[in-house]
Parts: sequence; C-alpha cells; structure tokens
Amino acid sequence: MKSLRSRLGKEWLFCDGGTGTSLQALGLAGGELPERWNQTHPDRIRALHEDYLKAGCDIINTNTFGLNTLKFPGEVESLTAAAVHLAQEAKERTGREDAYIALDIGPTGKLLKPMGDLDFEEAVALFAETIRAGAQAGADLVLIETMSDSYESKAAVLAAKENCSLPVLITNIYNENGKLMTGGTPETVVAMLEGLGVDAVGVNCGFGPQEMIPIVKRLTACASVPVIVNPNAGLPKQIKGRTVYDLGAEDFAQTMVDIAKLGVQVVGGCCGTTPDYIKRARELVLKHVPFRPIEPKHRAVICSGSQLAEIGPKPLLIGERINPTGKKRLKQALREHDLNYILQQGLAQEEAGADVLDVNIGLPELDEPAMMAEVTTALQSVTTLPLQLDSSDPEALERGMRLYNGKPMINSVNGKAESMAAVFPLIKKYGGVCVGLALDENGIPDSADGRIAIAKKIYAKAAEYGIAPEDIVIDGLAMTVSSDSRSALITLETIRRVRDELQGHSILGVSNISFGLPQRQIINAHFLTLAMQDGLSCAIMNPNNAEMMKSVRAYMALMDLDENCLQYIQAYSEQETAPPVQTKTAYTLSQCIQKGLAEQAAEATRSKLATTDGLTLINEEMIPALDLVGKGFEKGTIFLPQLLMAAEAAKAAFAVIKESMAGQPRETKGKVILATVKGDIHDIGKNIVKVMLENYGYEVIDLGKDVPPETIVQTAVDQQIKLVGLSALMTTTVVSMEETIKMLHTVKPDTKVVVGGAVLTEEYAEMIHADAYAKDAMATVRYADQVFGADN
Amino acid sequence: MIDRKETERYLGYMKVRPDAQIDARIDACIAQIEKTMDCRSVKRYEPMTIEDETIRIADMEIHSQSLLRNLKDCTSVCLFAATIGPEIDRLIRRAEIVSMTDAAIYQAAGAAAIESYVDQVNQTIIAEADGYCRPRFSCGYGDFDLHHQRDFARLLNLPKTIGVTLTDTLLMQPSKSVTALVGISPKPSHCILQGCEACSRTDCTYRR
Repeated sequence: MKSLRSRLGKEWLFCDGGTGTSLQALGLAGGELPERWNQTHPDRIRALHEDYLKAGCDIINTNTFGLNTLKFPGEVESLTAAAVHLAQEAKERTGREDAYIALDIGPTGKLLKPMGDLDFEEAVALFAETIRAGAQAGADLVLIETMSDSYESKAAVLAAKENCSLPVLITNIYNENGKLMTGGTPETVVAMLEGLGVDAVGVNCGFGPQEMIPIVKRLTACASVPVIVNPNAGLPKQIKGRTVYDLGAEDFAQTMVDIAKLGVQVVGGCCGTTPDYIKRARELVLKHVPFRPIEPKHRAVICSGSQLAEIGPKPLLIGERINPTGKKRLKQALREHDLNYILQQGLAQEEAGADVLDVNIGLPELDEPAMMAEVTTALQSVTTLPLQLDSSDPEALERGMRLYNGKPMINSVNGKAESMAAVFPLIKKYGGVCVGLALDENGIPDSADGRIAIAKKIYAKAAEYGIAPEDIVIDGLAMTVSSDSRSALITLETIRRVRDELQGHSILGVSNISFGLPQRQIINAHFLTLAMQDGLSCAIMNPNNAEMMKSVRAYMALMDLDENCLQYIQAYSEQETAPPVQTKTAYTLSQCIQKGLAEQAAEATRSKLATTDGLTLINEEMIPALDLVGKGFEKGTIFLPQLLMAAEAAKAAFAVIKESMAGQPRETKGKVILATVKGDIHDIGKNIVKVMLENYGYEVIDLGKDVPPETIVQTAVDQQIKLVGLSALMTTTVVSMEETIKMLHTVKPDTKVVVGGAVLTEEYAEMIHADAYAKDAMATVRYADQVFGADN
Repeated sequence: MIDRKETERYLGYMKVRPDAQIDARIDACIAQIEKTMDCRSVKRYEPMTIEDETIRIADMEIHSQSLLRNLKDCTSVCLFAATIGPEIDRLIRRAEIVSMTDAAIYQAAGAAAIESYVDQVNQTIIAEADGYCRPRFSCGYGDFDLHHQRDFARLLNLPKTIGVTLTDTLLMQPSKSVTALVGISPKPSHCILQGCEACSRTDCTYRR
C-alpha cells in the first residue's frame, strides 16, 4: 500500500460521506450515541464502510466522531479500537487494501476557557486519549472535522501531533458569513493550521456544495497544503420531525465537479450524503476535472483567532507598550498581578491604531512562563489583534505559543547557535513568524555586510528546521545615533538589503534610534519615514506617539497604501476644525464626581493638589461626594449607570492623587477578597462591586471567576482576610458558593462572607450560611464598613 | 431592534428617564451591539404526551408541575434556542477594562437584545403553528429543572447549529442565549400568565 502522504496532493482522493445521517437511516434512535454501535451493531457499521469502499472512497472515517471521555468515560480505548477494526474488516472484505482509515475526531461540544469552561490542556488531553487509541489500533490518518472554533481545532491538532506520527487532515465548519462560530475566517484558520503543520485543510458540513463555493475559493486562494471539501447533501429541511437534505445524488455530483475545478485536491461528503452520492461525484470528477496540485502561496502572515495581519507591503505597527523596560507603572502592575492595567495598555494601543501587540512581561522576580500564559490568555479574550510574544526565555515563549489562538509573531531568535536551537523547534511545532536579530556570538556587526551575513545564516538554519523564509523577519537593529552617528545608515542599509537581496521582511524597534537625545520623537518620526522608504515591514513602536503616527499615516497616503487617503482623513480631518480643547473645568472636584466626569475630575484634582494635600482631598471632597451618590442610589433617585460613572470619576481622581504620593501607599480600610465561585464564568456583578469597594478605600484581592473553594480559603488564610465577597449567577453554582462558605467557616471562622448574584435572596443566603446578603454593590460597601468599622 | 425601555429597566430605571449624558452612552452601546450581534436560532417540532404527570418530548422525561400547567391540552411542542452571538461577551469584557458604566449598559442592552430576538423567533413559531401556542417556557422557570438544558443542547445540537455551548454548571455561552419550548394545542387557552406575572419569585428587583 502506498502511503497517504505519497498520494495526498498529487492525485484525486475521495473521502466518504455522511456517517451520522446514514446511521439514523439504519435505525439509530434520537437519543442514542452513534459510537455505541461499534459494539452493539458492528455489522451495520462495517456494512456502511463497505458500501463507501465499493463506491470508490479512498479515505473512510471511523465511527468515532463524538468518542471522548466526556461522553464515554472508561470506554474510549475499547470503542475506538472496535471502530478501527470494523474499518479494517471492511477493507479486507471489499479487497480495498489501498484505502486509508481515518480516525475521525469531532468537536467536544464544549467551549474552551476563558469564554467557556474547558481548559485548553484538558481539551488536548481529551483528544489525545482517542488519538492514541486510534493510532494503536491501526488508523492510517487522523481526520479532525466539523470544528467550529479555531482554538479547539488547535487543541485537536496538537493532540494528534504529540501522540502519533500519522498524517493530520482537518476540516472546519463555516457559517454563511464565511466564519467559524467563534469568528475565525478561512484565512486565519489556514494560517494557524499550516503553522501547526497539518497535512491538509478544508471545509465540511454546514452547507451543500453550492453554498460552499465562496469558502472553497478563499481556501484555495490562501492554502499551501491540499484542500478538502466535504459538503452536505444540500440544505437541511425538517419534514415530519425528520431532517432531510434537499439535494439528490446527481445534483450533488454535478456541483462537486464545479468545486473540483476550483483547485481542491480531496472531495467527499458530509450529512445526508450516501455511498451513491460519493460514487457519482467520483465518477464525474475523475472524468471531467484534471487534477491540479495546490500551489505554495508563500504568504507572510500572522493571525489571532479571527484577525489576519499580513507582513508587507503595508508596514505593520506593533504596539510596544506591554514591555516593562523603563516603565515603572507596568512593572508595578506586573508585580501586583494587576492584569487589568496590562489589558488597558493593550486596548489603548488598539484604539490608537496598532496592528499587533507586543507582549513582553519579563521581570527578574516573576515566574515568566506562568505570567506569559496568563497575559496571553487574558489579552486574546479582549482583543482580536494578533500578538507578538516577546521573551528571551524559550519556556515562556512556549507557554504563550501553546495557549495562543492563532499564529503569533515570536520575538526573537538571533544568529547564535544556541538561540536558534532553542527557538526554531518551537516555531516548527506551533507555527509563527520569527523575528531574527542580526547579531550573534561575536556581537552586533557594525556594518550592513555583517548584519546581512547573519540574516543569511538565520534563514539557512531556519530552512534546516523546515521553516519557510516568509516565516522570518530580520531585525536590522536600530541603535542610537547619539553614540555612533553612522548607526542609522547601517540599519537602513541592512533593511534595504533584506528587501532587495534576500527578498525578505524586516522589523525594527524604531525608537532605540534616538536614545540619549532630547525631543526624541523628532528623530523617531523621521527615522521611521526613512526606514519605511527603505522597506521596513514591521515597526515596533508606541502607537500613542502622535509624531510617529503622523509619519506612518503620511507615508501610507503617499505610497498608495491608504486607499483614497481614508485613514489619513479619518485621523486628521477633525483636528483642523476642532477648537483647542478646554481643559480647565468649571466644576469643583465634588461636582465632577457626582456628575461622573472622569477627565474633569482628574483635572480638578491636579489643580487642587497645588494647595491641598491628597489625603485631605480624599476625606473632605471625594468621600462625601461618593457618599451623596451612594445614598441617592440607595434611595432610588440615582441609578446604576450614574453610580458607576461617579465611581469612575473618583477612580480617575484617585489615580492622580496616587501618582502625587508616589512611594507612600495609600492607607486602606482593609483587604477584601472578591471571587465569582467555581463553575460560574460571568463576573460583571463582582467587577462592579470591586470598583465600588476600591473607591470606598478597600484593597480588593480579585481572584477572578470560576475560582475553586480551596483557592479562596487559602488566600483568606495567607493574607489574614476578614471579609470575603462571593458572587454566583445560577442555582447550579450556588452549590459551590455553599461549599466555599462551609470550608471558610471551618478553616477560618473569623472571616465573614457576603454573597450576591442574580439568583440569590436574603433567605437563600441564610440557607447556605452566608454572613450577609448584599442586593447590590452599595449594600456590599455598607456591609464592609460594618465589618471593618467594628474594629476601629 | 433593541428595546430601549427594556434596557433602561434592566439598568434599574423604573419610572424615570436617564439623563442626557447616560442617554447618549446607552445609544452608543446599543448601536455597537446592533453592529456586532449575530442572531441565530434553531427549532424543532416534536409530539408530546403527558402520562401520570410525566411529560414526554422526544427522549426527554420531564417532571414539572409548572410545565404541566403550561402544556395542558397540548399535543406537540416546538423546542427552540436563540442567541445574539459571542461578540456581545467580548464587548462586555472590553468595557469592563475601560469603563464599568459601559459594561453595565452593554449587559443590559444585550439582555434586551436577546429578549426581543427571542420574541421574534416566538412570533414565527406562532405564525406557522398548526394550533394554539402557549407562552414559551424555559428550563429554570418554576420547577422545570435546569438540567434539561442538556436535553435542549443535545436535541437541537446547539454547539453546531447556533454555536451555543453549556458549561458543566449549565451556563450557556454566549451568555446572551435562550432555550425554550412552546406548547401547541388544538384548544385555545385563556388567562395565560407570561413574563413576570408567570414567575413565582416575587422579590426580584426587576419585577415589573
């Protein structure tokens, strides 16, 4: 038998058609799990395989679509082995020894964290169990199919790659907007999956062949590995409680000819298709469509789960603000584990026009791999911008790359043998575009010749690992002109030659060029223009810097990279007409807070600080103002949005005061733990309470959502906490609330517990032995005052 | 299609109107949701029987006094689910980082959005039903046990059809999603309670 890899992409191959729908036709009942039939009705499963083999299918799928531990605890191995053996028997009986057995892997039906509750590594483990069993039983390939989430796709592919050496083929299910349910597009999905090293990509289910055509076109336009198309037999209709598909075998086959002509390499069917459909489609395709292999596209792209960023011809702006070097406030946030501040930096850069966010969280005293994992996960839950994972620690890079939903940029490798040996295997395994610094064991060459030589070395080494040149960008190394006046010239020549001689892409940490000089933005902005003119593909910079953004937008407009100058006009047309912003406010600080005017509150605080000290401002203006609003809320004359706006204004004012008292920590009334209990993944209520408590002078230890009781109890013990606030949304999660309270009261009886959340009531709270029930955020503040006031 | 009044009610405004500043923010948030929401629904008709107070629908066996009352005289039901998609959850998360006020407004407007979309789906069921429809009923109403959420997820194949998944604790994701059933009867029914009036919880902040 020829190996699948020796045939895939070189000749037509045909997958089989529907399994689930065929089994229903054979009598599978509504609530029955199809995989059970591997044991209870082996004859029917084998017969279906035989029919597909007789129809001419080259790849038949085992009956293992939903076979995982969640549905079949303790039976995965035996049911999977049974499924593979049935396919093997069918091959023998039909004399189709040339056909391949695909271990069929479907989605878990669960959503991955942080949006859902299935941990990424748990998902990998679930898939791994079935894949190990299938490979052991003798499957010839792994076919992952009907995946509606790119992140889960990644978990499945990693599981396959880590647990067998079989070819891995994957098809996703797209909706009519050409997207996965969780937002992925054909372009992002292909970029990520090719990065992970799959053998073929494609589309299945969801539609009939006609509706699939736009998606197939996009797939063949971006994929460099063979493309698989397995449509349904048209669109489903419900007739008398049964689902039927509206396309007959002949119509299906005719349309498959059109699809085959789009340049795909593997075709088959999905729901509603039967051996007849595939037989006819195969006949027509073989007769009318000459086979064409897929062409390599050499696309230089990175992506998030739903957004693609192409490297060149437009310069990519990579926001540099999430990097603690020289940033006191970020260092503090990292040390205090203040993820919110880090996420704010990310969103602000996105707002300012960044295309990609650099993520560097290295501080000597931190567990960098753990932090990288946490920040990567948190960032990708709020922004769809692709990320550049930036670390000198390969372990931190790997943690981030593993959990990253997409194809990241990796910063960085350099010409040292040791560096390349550590980083290139990661790029090969997880996919990514890698920054290659033009330096090596001998340091930084002081000529473009030297830097180009190192660049060549990096490309050559990458090729040895099977990493394509388009997955490398060369850092030409911007070094300050203040210490060597030739340095900008050398850097510019380097990136020019990367473009012209190596046909490669380049990147620079732009603002390094002006280190040590006054008015750095002048040099930065002009250097950036020169660099872009010399072919710079990626600029690592601060997108909040107005001068540099002017360079970028002007360059794009002048170089025909900004259609109709739209971006330029959008950015600058208003500035011409708008009068200078009046920053002086007519309101007092107290009024600003009551009215919820954050910027004015900060401004008023700044001017007041000239004459009054921070503490007096807090006690005599801010707290009374907040209290007025709080009382209004309790009386029902002020509503939640106003309460929160006042809180945000106060927060802005506090930030100004905090800055002015740098070094001296603000006195707090006490430390409170807040957590959304285990099993609960919605935490807006808890977050509202947090804002309010902080404003009233409490230090909040926010443990987040889905927090196990043990974590809460341990933190309460470690930090000697007197008050814990718990939130739960559902009756099903109040159970974990009760458990947490019980554990807390046993281990640390002097800690009070206040509870809140959608389903809770006074009586319910009492029933689970909470010390107090708070109907809203203000009620929590009042209870905290009671708990801590009793001490004073 | 997002109901302004409902949004305000979820934010706590019962009889008063928000001031101009908040009004503008509500408008902006609603516009943003309308731009990003991705409404999807799926439905399935099934015959039903009631025997010894056990309701049987497809392979479900339901024991619920409140649902028994709702489905009195019904011979079939329409099981359905609807969602406004996952982007609303990202909007809320993003707002939580920048402004809790906007987060609270997104939360309220998102709730109003799914509610009116569900009304719309419900209307199409009423329009195409061969009989008289009862008010829609969801798991968690009265004593209709929440664990039947799993049956809805399975029977309607929710992850695949509309991208709705369940956590182990039966929370739906995207959060702005609804599952329900509508009883269909050959007989009309008078005096049907729905909305807040049908709910047994009288101490709810949002009770109309």
